[in-house]
This record gives sequence, structure tokens and C-alpha cells, in this order.
Amino acid sequence: MGATSVHRTVDAVWRMESAKVIAALARYVRDVGLAEEMAQDALVQALEQWPEQGVPRNPGAWLMTTAKRRAVDQIRRRENFARKVEEIGRDVQETTPDAAEGIEDEIGDDLLSLMFTACHPVLGTEARVALTLKMLGGLKTEEIARAFLVSDATVAQRIVRAKKTLADAGVPFEVPEGPELASRLASVLEVLYLIFNEGYSATQGDDWLRPELCAEALRLGRVLAELAPKEAEVHGLVALMEIQASRTRARTGPGGEPVLLLEQDRGKWDWLLIGRGLKALERAEALNQPPGPYYVQAALAACHARARKAEDTDWQRIAALYQVLAGISPSPIVELNRAVALSMAFGPAAGLALVDEIAGEKALQGYHLLPSVRGDFLVKLGRTAEAKAEFEKAASLTRNERERTLLLERAASC
Amino acid sequence: MRFMVFVRSPSPLAALHGDALRHAGVLLDAGDLVPGACGVSGYWLIDVRDHEEAVERVKRIGLPACVVEIRQVAVV
Repeated sequence: MGATSVHRTVDAVWRMESAKVIAALARYVRDVGLAEEMAQDALVQALEQWPEQGVPRNPGAWLMTTAKRRAVDQIRRRENFARKVEEIGRDVQETTPDAAEGIEDEIGDDLLSLMFTACHPVLGTEARVALTLKMLGGLKTEEIARAFLVSDATVAQRIVRAKKTLADAGVPFEVPEGPELASRLASVLEVLYLIFNEGYSATQGDDWLRPELCAEALRLGRVLAELAPKEAEVHGLVALMEIQASRTRARTGPGGEPVLLLEQDRGKWDWLLIGRGLKALERAEALNQPPGPYYVQAALAACHARARKAEDTDWQRIAALYQVLAGISPSPIVELNRAVALSMAFGPAAGLALVDEIAGEKALQGYHLLPSVRGDFLVKLGRTAEAKAEFEKAASLTRNERERTLLLERAASC
Repeated sequence: MRFMVFVRSPSPLAALHGDALRHAGVLLDAGDLVPGACGVSGYWLIDVRDHEEAVERVKRIGLPACVVEIRQVAVV
């Protein structure tokens, strides 16, 4: 095996094993920052040794053992950590590459702890995202930087600060229990969905890594669903991401222009992912827990996914689900979406009535979709002069050139 | 990237349930194929970053003596 080929293998092994190595080390040293540094040291040794000595039979266990030895070396230098040295030293003796399969169960709990730690609310959103991709996704700093269109130094700084914040705050390396679990889980789910959306919204541009973000969020969501199978919202989020990801190929036209959901060629949807999404939704439903926002959004996505043709869409169910969502996560945007669903289910007058109710909402001032949606309802009701004014207003508010052209065309046709 | 992993073995393959792949979040689908002259066959469909990762993930599964073929899925 040539050096390049070995490096590619090292990269692959690192992506697969780094989270497990960091998680297992963090259990001993109780400091994810330190654990990550030791895992990185093991990676450097692998890059030095494997091209000459060959890739070991069990590279994951090799990384784990090497990192734990580094941990022992580090901690030996600190007198007050004598107990931990004994603990890890014993473990290194026991953890031979051949014995690695036996630690898989422990690893599951450690991985879950690592997810909760990397997504701890004490960290800002950007820090949580960067730390999750670095420690759980095995992405390099430069890969994260490229994905988020920022410099390597910015991401590196975010990660360093995040690790320091966790250490300063004394965040315990554990899976939260009791009432804390719900809010901490919400934080983890938020991070995964943010990562997914960062990839999903990147339909323009040619940076290959942005779709990779989508895939990584989906993978981490599936891992989380395996680790926390009794949490309906986890399955809800997985269902939502699977179904949204299924539309990737249909979301843009030949010129890269966005294609709206109802105008998409459903033959281009990925029916394997839709099937997986619907199954994840069933798992969430089977748990009989109060509906959470991800579950409801997944149920909404499923309504579209189940319709083979746009005209088969069950708009009455969609309108009802938006009402449930408005009860869980009230927002003017949800209400605007509900107005569209009401219009499709019961006619434009029903949609217009709701739009007029929420038109005064502060959050919607300056939001181009409010006049755009209102204009659409007015056209359907034959009130073309009012519709024209609404489309012109929407065109003046949007920052997207392609959308502005479309809205002005609609105004001109009134 | 998606890869189809075909496994052919003269004896039944309990490992084809693909637990390790599912726990890693990369298993999209799995199934048995109708037994043929070469014995029992099954497949996994996995979603991974590249061919190296596909190979490394499959290498970690304790399969008995069998033939494994890993092919990238053309259009996804």
C-alpha cells in the first residue's frame, strides 16, 4: 500500500473512530478538550507510523490504545491525578487491539455523553456546531471552515474557546437525567438540524462539502436514534431530515434555479430516503409521547412525501398539523404557512383571513413572503389591482434577484 | 456516496443484519438474496464519504470466509 493510499485509509479510519476514541478518553480524564488533544496525538502517530509499518489489523483499537498511553503520560506529570493514572493504566493493559470489540457497549454511552457535552447550552450556537462536527463528525478544522465559508483560524479559535468554556464551567461528562434531559436533548437536536440546514440550503455553489454537512447531520441523527431509541423527538428529527434530504435532486432546475416543492418532479425524489423517513416517523408515533416540533414538522413533510402528485396532497391534514405546530412553537412564520395550507384546503378567502390577522406582527414587517402570499390569495379571488400592489411590495422587499424578477412578472400580469 | 456491498458465503450469515453499520448511522438498507450456486448471498446499502471508508467499515465486520464485493452506486 502506497503512502497516499495509507493516508486515505488513515483519514477514513479517523472519521470512523475519532468520536469513539475521544468519548472513551473523556470518560477517564473528564475533560473533552484534553481527550480531543490526546486523540489528535494518536492520529499524528498513525500518520507517522502506518505508512512505514502498515495499517494495523484493528486500526480503531490501535488509535484508542495509543491515545490512552498518551493520556497516562500526560496525567503522570500531575501528581494529584494519581488515581486516574492507575485507572487508565489498568485499562491500557486490558485494551489490546484484539479486545476492542468488547468495549462497544460502553462506547455507546460515552458517545451519547460526548454529544450532550459538545452541544451543551453553555456554548454559543456556532461553538456547538463546530465542536460537534470536529469531535463527533471527525471533520478537520479546514473542512468545517470551508463548509461554513469562514477562515480556518476562525473555526480553530471557536473550538479552542469552546473547549475552554466547557472546562471553566465544569460541565460534567455525562448523559443528563430527569428534567434536565429534555432541554439538553433539545440543544443536541437543534445543533444537528442547524448542520443539516446549512448543507440543505446550499443548493448554489460548487463546494462539495456543503452537501456533506447534510449527510453528516443525517448520520449523526441516525446514530443518536440508536443511542436514545425512546426519545420520540430524535426519531422525529431523523424523519424530517430523511424526507427533506429525499428532495435534494429535485430542488434545483438545470440552471441551478430553485424549484418550489409543488413544482418539483417527484420522480427525482429519493424514495429510499422517504421510506426511511416514514419508518422513523412511525417509530416516533409508537412511543406515544406528546408531539414535539420536529415530529410535527416531519409529519408535515410526510404529507407531501405521501402524495405521488402535487394535487394529491392532503392540505386539510397539513393545515391541522400547522395548528398543532403553532401551539407548540408559536411564530408568525408558522401562521403564514398555515394560511397557505388553509387556502389550499378551503379556498383563498380562508387563507386571506388568517394573513390579514397576522399582518400587523412585528416579525413579519419587511418579510417579503407576507405580501407575496397575500398577493397570491388576492389573484385567486379576482382582486387583481390589490394583488399587483402586493407583488410590487414583495419585490421591493426581497434580496434575491431571481425572486424579485419573478414577483415583478407576477405584478405585471395582474 | 452510496455503496452496495454484496456478500456471498457458503453458510448463513447472521452478520448480515449489519448492526455495526446501523449503529454507525451509515446503513440505508440490507437484505438477503435468493440462494444461488455460490451459496447464501446478501447485501448492504451504505452511505459513506468515500470508497476507503466503505472498505474500512466492512473490514470491521466479523464475516466468515466469504466473497465481498463493494460497488459504488452510480446515480444518487
